[in-house]
Amino acid sequence: MQYLSIKKSDWDNHVDQLLLSFSVFAPVKNEYSLDYEEISSENISNISYNIPKPATPLKNFFLPVKENVTSEGISGKKRVILGSPGCDVAGLRLLDEIYLDREFNDIFYRSRRDNTIIIASDCLRIQEHCHCTAYGIRPYPEDGADLSVMLIDDVVLLRVISQKGIDFKNSFLPGLTPADDSLVSEAENNHRKIESMLRDKWVDLPDYSKTGELVAGAKPGIWKKYSSRCVSCGACTVICPTCSCFLLIDKPGFEKIKQQDACQYPGFERVAGGEDPLFRLSDRFRNRYMCKYVWKPQKFRASACTGCGRCTEACIGKIDKNELFLELSK
Amino acid sequence: MTDDRNIYKPIKAKLTRVIDETPLIKTFVLVPETPFKFETGQFIELSVDGIGEAPFTPSSSPLVTDKLEVTVMKTGYVTEYMHRLEPGVFMGIRGPYGRGYPLEKFYGKVVMILGGGCGLAPIRSLLYALEDVKDKLEKVILCYGSKTPADCVYKPLFDRLNSIDKFEAYRTVDKSDEDWDGPVGVVTSLLNSIKYNRKNSVAVVCGPPVMMKFGTIKFLEMGYRDDEIYLSMEKNMSCGLGKCGHCMMGRYFVCKDGPVFTWEEIKDQPQIWE
Repeated sequence: MQYLSIKKSDWDNHVDQLLLSFSVFAPVKNEYSLDYEEISSENISNISYNIPKPATPLKNFFLPVKENVTSEGISGKKRVILGSPGCDVAGLRLLDEIYLDREFNDIFYRSRRDNTIIIASDCLRIQEHCHCTAYGIRPYPEDGADLSVMLIDDVVLLRVISQKGIDFKNSFLPGLTPADDSLVSEAENNHRKIESMLRDKWVDLPDYSKTGELVAGAKPGIWKKYSSRCVSCGACTVICPTCSCFLLIDKPGFEKIKQQDACQYPGFERVAGGEDPLFRLSDRFRNRYMCKYVWKPQKFRASACTGCGRCTEACIGKIDKNELFLELSK
Repeated sequence: MTDDRNIYKPIKAKLTRVIDETPLIKTFVLVPETPFKFETGQFIELSVDGIGEAPFTPSSSPLVTDKLEVTVMKTGYVTEYMHRLEPGVFMGIRGPYGRGYPLEKFYGKVVMILGGGCGLAPIRSLLYALEDVKDKLEKVILCYGSKTPADCVYKPLFDRLNSIDKFEAYRTVDKSDEDWDGPVGVVTSLLNSIKYNRKNSVAVVCGPPVMMKFGTIKFLEMGYRDDEIYLSMEKNMSCGLGKCGHCMMGRYFVCKDGPVFTWEEIKDQPQIWE
């Protein structure tokens, strides 16, 4: 893997120049959280690097909460998203399989994907619920993103990942030079360190396929126990980088509004005749686990859980999915 | 194979005729703005402008592309609006979606069809398709049950079927009235008295969930293999594209992997009949 480097102050100038051609979004720490903000010349120096993970999952840039899907397509400025963590980048793999499928290709999702450059950020810290490595995902993307950056002191180290990334670098990021060996070895050392921190922390957590077996074989009692604190708020799905279920709402003129939906909401699968497979809360709760760890893996290549841990962070009932999995694996 | 087609956008279809089938069921005759092809058993998303959209399997022949018939039971928000529509208005159509009946697998066999209530709608389309290939079939038998004689849809269909070579049609009702002199009982009770070559047959079931459940159980008791029973499943198929998630039945998107499944394919999935 080739590493390029540039001084942080020069990098910030590059980002400033990018604003002429792109809308740029990057994580900025505010008084409540770390989240994506639209970048202007004023806040370039506030961009957070190396830190997982913005409150909003990356999916929202490609699947807005609400959009008119009968309008005449999408125009507007191209975008650069800077600072997405590896877990979120990995989440796009599943969304690509669903929304870019050959038979039913979503032109709105596709044009956003085409119009967006993703400059990921390697994670150099972990947060309490981060567990990407448990599901085979690295805290520094090796595919899915176009480029990835790591900030070491006052130097930005850049890895070019995709062809789109090469073209982008050639056009918009002049003056990068191959990184010194000492910096490269520091970067690789950082990667190893963060991976082993994650592995050590979650050494008992079953991997993705083992989790699927445990979830499929779990007795009803476990779902009743853990769902007893669930209030069907759907936060776990809203915040999940791979949950993408939606509702189509009709408007006059045969227009359709596509709006994020969640299997955790009552009535999600109800039909007009009254049948409602997910009527019981514990069935809805189980449904999400079965979907992520059993059914999606039978349909798609990409993992439906990236180990970002947001569902646990967002849960107002303090339901911890890893606690559930550890209990199942005992 | 990617194209710039907008998968969410319906085409328009003019409502040219509304046929009252029963007090709760109407058939809508639609002329799409462009020819519309579907395979029997596939479904469409039919919308009332500005109100909503719902999935229906057309009840007309798949051989006809300039006209489409959809039979709708008044049962919820969207269908209530549909029942108020008068000829002349435009409706929206998306589709066709999903996997229909695999007709080639029926060749050489007796096709035993069990239908209930408004489930005769997809079956009527299937019957048209089977009539077209009847030379390749041993026999087609329809057993149909409705709650009362008045709740039977397409009443003239039965005499017509009985006049076609290789076709037989039987009716029963759950509850009779004074004009009814036919069998009374659940639709599966018809199966006990019909003589046919069971071992060379496939079973097709379409109707309300409870009828599909007991129909499947009955066919299994009669010795049908799991892969000889075809079910047309009804779930909340909202987008029709295998994306929105509302019709997930275990590992399947009913809209894309179905709606027609063999029992073998779905028997291990959760909450099939709920």
